[in-house]
Amino acid sequence: MFEFLSDPYTWTLIIEGLTLTVSITLFGVLLGLGIGTLLSIGDIYGGKTIKALIAVYVEFFRGSPLFVQLFIAVYAVPAIINIQIDHAVLAFLVFGLNSGGYQKGYMKGAIETIFNDQMDAGLSTGMSRAQTLRHVILPQAYRIVIPSWTNEFCSLTKSTSALAFVGLFDLTAAGIALRFSTFQILPVWIVIGIIYLIWITSFSKIMDIVYEKKRIPGIELNMQ
Amino acid sequence: MNEIVMEAKHVYKTYKIKGDKKGEMKYVEAAKDVSLQIRKGDIKLIFGPSGSGKSTILRCMSMLDFPDKGEIYLGDLCLTKPGVDLNKARAKIGFVFQHIYLFRHLTALGNVELALRQVLKLPKEEAKKRALAALEEVKVTECVNKYPSQMSGGQAQRVGIARAIARNPDIILLDEPTSALDPELTGEVIDTLRDLAKEGTTMLIVSHEMPFAKEVAEEMIFYDEGRIIETGPPSLFFNAPNTDRAKQFMTRIINRTTRE
Amino acid sequence: MDVGQQLIYLLEGVPLTLSISLISFLVGIAVGLPLAFIRVYEKEVGFVVDAYEKVFRGIPEIVLMLMIFFGLGPYFPIPFNSAFFVACFVLGLRSGANQSQIYRGAIHGVGDEQMIAGQSVGFSKWRAIWHIMVPQVFTYSTPGLGSEYALLIKDSAYVYVIGGLAEVMTRAIQIKSSPPYDVVTPFILAALIYVALTFPIAFWLDRWGTKRKRKLGL
Repeated sequence: MFEFLSDPYTWTLIIEGLTLTVSITLFGVLLGLGIGTLLSIGDIYGGKTIKALIAVYVEFFRGSPLFVQLFIAVYAVPAIINIQIDHAVLAFLVFGLNSGGYQKGYMKGAIETIFNDQMDAGLSTGMSRAQTLRHVILPQAYRIVIPSWTNEFCSLTKSTSALAFVGLFDLTAAGIALRFSTFQILPVWIVIGIIYLIWITSFSKIMDIVYEKKRIPGIELNMQ
Repeated sequence: MNEIVMEAKHVYKTYKIKGDKKGEMKYVEAAKDVSLQIRKGDIKLIFGPSGSGKSTILRCMSMLDFPDKGEIYLGDLCLTKPGVDLNKARAKIGFVFQHIYLFRHLTALGNVELALRQVLKLPKEEAKKRALAALEEVKVTECVNKYPSQMSGGQAQRVGIARAIARNPDIILLDEPTSALDPELTGEVIDTLRDLAKEGTTMLIVSHEMPFAKEVAEEMIFYDEGRIIETGPPSLFFNAPNTDRAKQFMTRIINRTTRE
Repeated sequence: MDVGQQLIYLLEGVPLTLSISLISFLVGIAVGLPLAFIRVYEKEVGFVVDAYEKVFRGIPEIVLMLMIFFGLGPYFPIPFNSAFFVACFVLGLRSGANQSQIYRGAIHGVGDEQMIAGQSVGFSKWRAIWHIMVPQVFTYSTPGLGSEYALLIKDSAYVYVIGGLAEVMTRAIQIKSSPPYDVVTPFILAALIYVALTFPIAFWLDRWGTKRKRKLGL
C-alpha cells in the first residue's frame, strides 16, 4: 500500500508542494505581522473614520472563511482590475491580509496591557510619542504576542490546503496528484497528513525555543 | 535669590472618574488655583491626605497631564502655550514614578541609556559611560545587567532615579517614590535622595515619609482638596502649624510615626 | 443570474451551513468537555488528550475530509459516504480539540476551590465536576466558545472539497461554473453572507457571557 513512498517521483511532488505551502505560510504570517502592527497603532491613535475602517477590515477578514477570500483574490480581483497577476502572489497577499486582521487583535491586546505606564515613563524621559512607541512599547508588545503567533501560524498552515482548489500546487495538491497516479487513497492521505503534522509540530517546537531565547523575564502573555 | 527653575501659576485641573452608582460620574477637583515656585537648589516637599491631588499637580508640572487652566513655566519657557516642543522640555525634567515604570524589556543599563541615546543623541560609548556613572551614583551597580523583574523594588526605584538624573535635568520631580515599596526597602531610596539633596539637586517631592521630610526638605507644602493650605519649613509643621487642617494632619501623622 | 437571484440562491444554502456548524459544535462539546476535565483531573491519562489535540492542530481539515470521505467511504459507505456526516465528523472532532483547550483554561479560571468545596459537601469527584464545575466552566468560556462557533461556520465551507452538499460555498462555486461564468459577485456575496452569520453570534454570546459572569462574580 505504501510502496509509492520508495518512488523518488513521489518525493519530488511532495517537496514541490511542501515548498509552496511553507512559503505562503511564512510570508503570509510576516505580512500579517506588519499589517497587524499598523492596524493596531491606527486603532489606538486614529480618528473615528480610521477606527471605523479598521473595524470593517477586521470584521470582513475574520468573519468570512479564508477559503472564500482566496477565491475572491484569485478569481475576482484580476477580473475587476483587469490585470493578470500570478496566482501565488495573490494567494500570498490574501493570506497576509487575513492574518493581519487577526494579528491586529493580538498586537492591540499586548500594547494595551503596557501602554499607559510605559508611555508615561517614555515621555517623562523626553522621548516623543513616536520614539516611545518604537523603542519601548513595540519591543515589549512583540515579545508578548509570540505565543499567539505560533497559534496563528498553525491555523494559517492548515488553511493553505485550500490553495490546491485554486489551481496552485501545494502539499494537498501533491496529495491529489499522488492519489491519481498511484490509485492509493487512504495511504496517500495518511502520508500527507503526517507530513503536515510533522511540519506544524516541528515549527511550533522551534517557535517555543525562539520564545525561550528571546524571552525577557517579566514580559509574558498574562502580565499585569 | 536663585533663579526660578519651574513655576506653576494658577493651575486648575479636574478629573472625571466613575462614581459609586452605575453610570454615575464623579468630578474630582485635583487642583484649584494652585501656584508654586521652585528655585535652583530648592528641595520642596508636598504632603497631605491621599486623594488631595498632590500627584496631579506634579504630573501637570511635567506636562504628563495638561492643566485645565493656568500656566506652567520651565525657566522662561511657558509649557502650556500651544505649539511648544514638550518633548524638549521634558528632557530637562527628571521624573520618578510611584510605581517605578521601568522599561521592562531593557536592563538597568538599557533603561538609563535609552533616553541618552534617543533624546540627547549621544554616541553609544558616551551614553554607556554616563549611564554607568548615574547607576553608580545611586549605588545599584550590581543590577547593571539585570532586568526589572529580577530586581527588588528598592533597586528598581533607584534605577528609576538614575534614569531621571542621567540627563542632568534642571529639576527632578518625584511622585511618592517610596509609597509602593515594602517598608524595609524604602531606606535605600531615601538614602539616595538624601545624597542627591546634599549635592544641591533641585527637587520637588510628593511624599508622606515624614522622617525624610524633617531631615531633607527645606520647605514643606501642605496640600489638601486641590489647594495649597500652608507652606513653611519643617520646623513649622512639626512644632506648631498655623492652620487647623495642618494641625489635624500633623497630629495624626506624628501619632502614627511615634507608635511605630 | 443577476445579483438578486445569486443572493437568493446563496441564501438557500444557509440552513445547511448552519446545520453543519451546529452539529459540529455539539459534537465538540461532547468531546471537548470530558477531555478537558480528564486532562486536568486525571493527569496520568493526560498525554492521550495532548496527542489528540496535536493531531487536530496539525492536520488540515480539508485533508481529513478527503481522507475519510474518499478513503473510508468506499469501504464503509454507512456512514462515510455521506458528505454531511464526514463534514460534521471532522469538524466536530476538530472542535473538540479546540474546546478542550478552552474548557481547560476555564477550569483554571474558575478555580480549584470550587472543586474542593464541592467534595467537602459530600460529592464524589465526578459528581462535583458535573454539578459544580461544568456550569461555571461554561459561563466562563463564552467568549472562547463564541469564536469557536464562528470558526465552525466558516470552516463549513470546506465541505465543498468532498462535494454533494449545496451549502453556501458550494453554491457560490456553482454560480461561477455555469453561464455567464461570473467570478466576481458570487464570492463577494458569499463572503458577506458569512460575515452576517458570524458577527451576531460572537457578539451576543459575548454579551450574554459577560452578564452571567458578573452575576456569578467570575
